[in-house]
Amino acid sequence: EQIGSARETVFGEDEVLTPYSSVTQYNNFYEFGTGKDDPYRYASKLNTDPWSVTVDGECEVKGTFSLEDLLKGQQLEERIYRLRCVEAWSMVIPWIGFPLADLIKRFKPLTSAKYIEFITLEDKKQMPGQRSAFSTIDWPYREGLRMDEAMHPLTLMAVGLYGEVLPNQNGAPLRLVVPWKYGFKSIKSIVAIRFRETMPRTTWNDIAPNEYGFYANVNPQVDHPRWSQASERRLPSGLFKPNRIATRLFNGYDEVASLYSGMDLHKYY
Amino acid sequence: MIRLRRTVLFLLGITPFIYIGQAIVRLQLGEWEVLGPEPGKAVVWFTGTWAFNFLLLTLAVTPLRRLLKQPWLLQHRRMLGLFAFFYATLHLLSYFAFLLEWRFAELGAETIKRPYLLLGMTAWLLLLPLAVTSTRGWQRRLKQGWKRLHKLIYPLSVLVAVHYLLQIRSSWFEPVLYAALVLCLLLLRWRKATVTKHADGHNS
Repeated sequence: EQIGSARETVFGEDEVLTPYSSVTQYNNFYEFGTGKDDPYRYASKLNTDPWSVTVDGECEVKGTFSLEDLLKGQQLEERIYRLRCVEAWSMVIPWIGFPLADLIKRFKPLTSAKYIEFITLEDKKQMPGQRSAFSTIDWPYREGLRMDEAMHPLTLMAVGLYGEVLPNQNGAPLRLVVPWKYGFKSIKSIVAIRFRETMPRTTWNDIAPNEYGFYANVNPQVDHPRWSQASERRLPSGLFKPNRIATRLFNGYDEVASLYSGMDLHKYY
Repeated sequence: MIRLRRTVLFLLGITPFIYIGQAIVRLQLGEWEVLGPEPGKAVVWFTGTWAFNFLLLTLAVTPLRRLLKQPWLLQHRRMLGLFAFFYATLHLLSYFAFLLEWRFAELGAETIKRPYLLLGMTAWLLLLPLAVTSTRGWQRRLKQGWKRLHKLIYPLSVLVAVHYLLQIRSSWFEPVLYAALVLCLLLLRWRKATVTKHADGHNS
């Protein structure tokens, strides 16, 4: 289904796009299985209509909102972002969405709201990966951002890619895209948003805190304990030409550096 | 009969190689999606899995031979072991070529930092002399030493199992299954060895 109304912007217009087939057939969405093609194979069972999102916590406007309600009045735009997976591969994806900040303002967060938490749908009927007895993930999947990260103009709520509505496997109908952080921060198929005073638990940080930090900013200086983060394979990669490129701090989005001034990025990885 | 069985086994053993080979040829001819967007990783995983499969089959020969009382099974152990070595070598080479791009300076640094690489490489180095001495000639030349040398398959299987376990991210089913199979196959021998020893003690 095409999205006709998205405005084009200047984000990433000099990038070479990763082909649609790679973007939609090779990704992590453990709710549908741990294989890279499991999301593509099994996500068709997910029903995204109707969809609603529950908002609560440290904010004035709380409640359960339908997707249509959340999207009302939002000017959609296309943004071409680099996506760097913590597994050292990367893609360039033309998302369609709107700044998360525009959504947050509608809920009138209180000054006590220091963090924002996101939760993915948990439904074993629709998500076969959640039925697996061999997963270490404590469902539902959770992610979180500091408020200033969430309010940053680069932080996007995406509803589409490549000019069309998000395919289920890419996190339909509503997902986060935080381009300067490893991909797992960009939580998919969001059903709950909570404003919080304290740092929320996040899924990968829970499983392996020494491997995945809360911040998870792309950083070539800080290795994953089991592999180097100094470079990445820009997909699709060839057999003899793996298309390896140097990884950049904050995935090259230098404008976010001020969010972390004075922080030891080796400690807050 | 034995010839026929050997031919069948050889054809079965070579099938994964033919499969990945044709996929690589198609990839190089322009079907870039045949192995997914990360073909290098796909080849490394595929060959690694088949190396491990053949290692398990090699270890299973002796217990199965006893259990099923089929002494002829032993006639095929060498080929299974050599297939394990063949796929392990392809695994190592594809890692060097496709993931490391032959940057051996980097390999040194990586190996020290990532224990699973060190374990995998050690396991291959232990497998190498077993493959070289797998012929009848070497068996004769080494006499009793041959049996002792080939007991290296036990520690190297443990290394391989840990090499796989260390790569778990979220789904632990397959690495744990493989490790459990290795453990079972080793325990069967340990039991047999202790039983034999006790029996010897009584006899003397």
